[in-house]
Amino acid sequence: MNYDHSIKLFRRICAVGFFILAGSLFYYQVINGNYYLRRAKNNYVRVIPSRSIRGTIFDRNNQPLAYDRAAFNIAVIPYQIRDNKDFLFYNIARYLKCDTRKLSRNYNRRFQNLFSPIDVILDIDKATAFKIRGYFGEDVIIDPQPQRYYPYGLACSHILGYVKEAAAFYENLKQYGYTPYERVGFSGIEQYYDSYLRGEDGGDLIEVNSKGKIVGFLGNQNAQRGADISLTVDYRIQEIAYRALEGRRGTLILMNSKNGEILSLVSFPAYDPNNFIKGKDVEQYLTGTNKPMHNRAVQSAYPLGSTFKPIVATAALGEEKISPSTTFMCTGEMRLGNTQFRCEKEHGPENLYQGLAHSCNVYFYNLGLLVGRDKICEWAARFGLNTPTNIDLPYEKKGIIPTQNFLSGRQWYRGDTLNLSIGQGYTESSPMEIMCAINVFATGGYLVKPRLLKKIGTSPSEEIRITDIGVAVRTLEIVKKALIDVVNSDDGTARILKPLSLDIAGKTGTAQAKGGSHGWFVGFFPYNAPQYTICIFLENAGSSYEALKVAHTFLEKLKEQKLL
Amino acid sequence: MLRNLQTKAAKSPVGSIVLCLLLLSIVSLTLLYSSLHQGGELKDQAIFYKQIMWLAFAWICFIGFSFLNYRLWFDFAIIFYILNILLLIAVEFFGKSALGAQRWLDIGGFSFQPSEVSKITTIFILARLFSSPESKGLWRGVLVPFGLVILNVALIAKQPDLGTALILVFLFFALGFVSSLRKRYLVILLLVALIASPFAWNHLKSYQKKRLIVFLNPNVEPLGAGYTIIQSKIAIGSGRICGKGFLSGTQNQFNFLPERHTDFIFTVLAEEWGLLGSLFLLLIYFYIFNKIIDIVNYLKDPFARLISFGIAFLFFLHVFINIGMTLGILPVVGLPLLFLSYGGTHLIVSFILLGVFANIYRQ
Repeated sequence: MNYDHSIKLFRRICAVGFFILAGSLFYYQVINGNYYLRRAKNNYVRVIPSRSIRGTIFDRNNQPLAYDRAAFNIAVIPYQIRDNKDFLFYNIARYLKCDTRKLSRNYNRRFQNLFSPIDVILDIDKATAFKIRGYFGEDVIIDPQPQRYYPYGLACSHILGYVKEAAAFYENLKQYGYTPYERVGFSGIEQYYDSYLRGEDGGDLIEVNSKGKIVGFLGNQNAQRGADISLTVDYRIQEIAYRALEGRRGTLILMNSKNGEILSLVSFPAYDPNNFIKGKDVEQYLTGTNKPMHNRAVQSAYPLGSTFKPIVATAALGEEKISPSTTFMCTGEMRLGNTQFRCEKEHGPENLYQGLAHSCNVYFYNLGLLVGRDKICEWAARFGLNTPTNIDLPYEKKGIIPTQNFLSGRQWYRGDTLNLSIGQGYTESSPMEIMCAINVFATGGYLVKPRLLKKIGTSPSEEIRITDIGVAVRTLEIVKKALIDVVNSDDGTARILKPLSLDIAGKTGTAQAKGGSHGWFVGFFPYNAPQYTICIFLENAGSSYEALKVAHTFLEKLKEQKLL
Repeated sequence: MLRNLQTKAAKSPVGSIVLCLLLLSIVSLTLLYSSLHQGGELKDQAIFYKQIMWLAFAWICFIGFSFLNYRLWFDFAIIFYILNILLLIAVEFFGKSALGAQRWLDIGGFSFQPSEVSKITTIFILARLFSSPESKGLWRGVLVPFGLVILNVALIAKQPDLGTALILVFLFFALGFVSSLRKRYLVILLLVALIASPFAWNHLKSYQKKRLIVFLNPNVEPLGAGYTIIQSKIAIGSGRICGKGFLSGTQNQFNFLPERHTDFIFTVLAEEWGLLGSLFLLLIYFYIFNKIIDIVNYLKDPFARLISFGIAFLFFLHVFINIGMTLGILPVVGLPLLFLSYGGTHLIVSFILLGVFANIYRQ
């Protein structure tokens, strides 16, 4: 009958309906059960992070150079403001006289889930934060966060570096256990000692209901404060160095000759790390033609020019090709085939002391031809010119010397040897490297490893690493005497430093380079018992004279303030 | 004695349905208790006690109607229909609203929903019209019943109560198909209804449109209209096989799930009792549905057949649409879950319908 047939059909349809429901339940609860369980937990389990306080960075006199202070943020919970978000943002923006879009941008960028607080206003003062809370009530939350502050930002930027949320580089950082909102050090000490400074974030694990109200407590982990770090730097010297260098392009380093403690290290142009914390004007730093982010003291190698000559002289003495009194005639040039190799002027007969004091090229051309490329390179390597100094700063670049290996089959002419002997051609090193090399004359034969770290927490890092480069003290004394003449003889190239009466010894250098010659001065003082080693490098400054002027300003000021 | 009762109950289909009803009453109160429970205490105790009262009253109705001869409804079908229409019009003028819809009528301190009652009157009047021998033609057999149903549907849709309105339309077509009605008329009507639906779309309230859009993609508005569906799915899925346990559903207890003691009561069950609890409930529903259809096949009286089939199909629709919407496989149309959702009128209407069926079986 018609009836029964239709009813049977309906019965089947309904049975299929029940089956669909059962199947869907199986799909949600069995196949995707764990996924939804995780989402349910995301709903109600909330980590209230307590950010670790990052270790403070002190200078050698316990003056803080970088520390965390409280910044007050205003946060909202998306679910709680779902109906009045735009209105609320508009009103907060009006109250603070800022752009509504700023709030929306922060909101969208930092959104995690419906129930986690999002910081929409960053870094306002405490009073304003509490005023906003009073005005907008439950809709907003005051969210204090530690924020990095650098009181001597510009002067110390290249030593310290800065910190940034890990989020931007999260893919690379997560393998080291960073969370996206944790702060990570970028460049400088902040990066090099990040694992000590960072501490460990903690937090409360709580249960909340849909209003964001806490209904249960699951556990907590206290944030671990990061270790404090003391540097060898003296912030006063640092400031003076910064002033002396200001407006130029280059670097100024002052180091303790005996133990390698860096007393100041400035590279200019510099940047203000506080801007990275606040996220303002950063673009100009990153794209600036003068490369303000670049630490010229360690991150680049430059042609050495005449500062390389003391090493050539040591090689010639060490290889017993000359004696201090061996004299060469300077006619203002040396001819090799059709090529003319020039000197500053006609120096006449020059011995070793004169040759170095006058920085006579012809004298060193002769030494170069006597010693030869391979030996020069061997001696340069002894002085550490093609190995990084291993100073505790990231991205150190090591210099190059034209060894057989480096040249790998490139043609080498005698003319190249002449260039090499006056520090041109394939002879480049970072200011830090050449400073340590010249320091060998101050220490009487030892390479001292430069360092910035004085102590971590309470454990001092008094480890001084010095390497005997195996050169006869007598040889070094001869060159050292010549270096003293550079400053102290009446016609020495660095004689303008003599009136400081600091007993300086050193070597100037004018290195030919694209865009104008680089100016160098590397030296140490007092020469009888050296305590300080100094290096000044000015990019495209024209001549070494500029470097000497900076050195003069700097050292005069130090003397005036009795900082030496 | 008890065993005697059990075997008797098992033998008689009505007896087993009564057992099922008892079971569902217990489940209903358990779920309601859990859905009102928050932060270690029972919030809204009034609602809980009201439901106990409604349940008691519903049982009285069930027993009462099982003793009233169902042929009475054949005679009264038209009067009931007219009365119901009048009540719906009254809602239009004097009704009170909740959640953006005007569905309730206050009578002597209790509010009730005439749209729920429409389910009874529609089944009765359709059963009467389709079962009378003279209703073979196009006019009396199709257009008149259709007109009556559409009038009813229009009034309900205007409240608006989209779920109930749709259910009445479904009932018309289902009863039409199983009666001896000419099927091509129905097909034509169905086509007309489909063509008319875009016009109906224009008459939907904006929140109803939103619900339909959100049904297609709940992530459109995770904080707005899509929120309930997303949270419901999370609750159901996270219950997994065994559930989180009584009073331990986090979505439920921490108040992430709106409307959970009414339309989304199934979600509470699925979260706290898991797949096992959910399937158990589906089995009970399926059992009741099957028992009714079994008996339909034995019935000789076409009026009784149509009423019984109508009840079975109505129950199926309720279960399928409600659970379907909590799972996000159907749009959220606002339909209570059979026997379990909080709400007096719906509960009583469902019990009355089963009472009528019990009487049919006794006859």
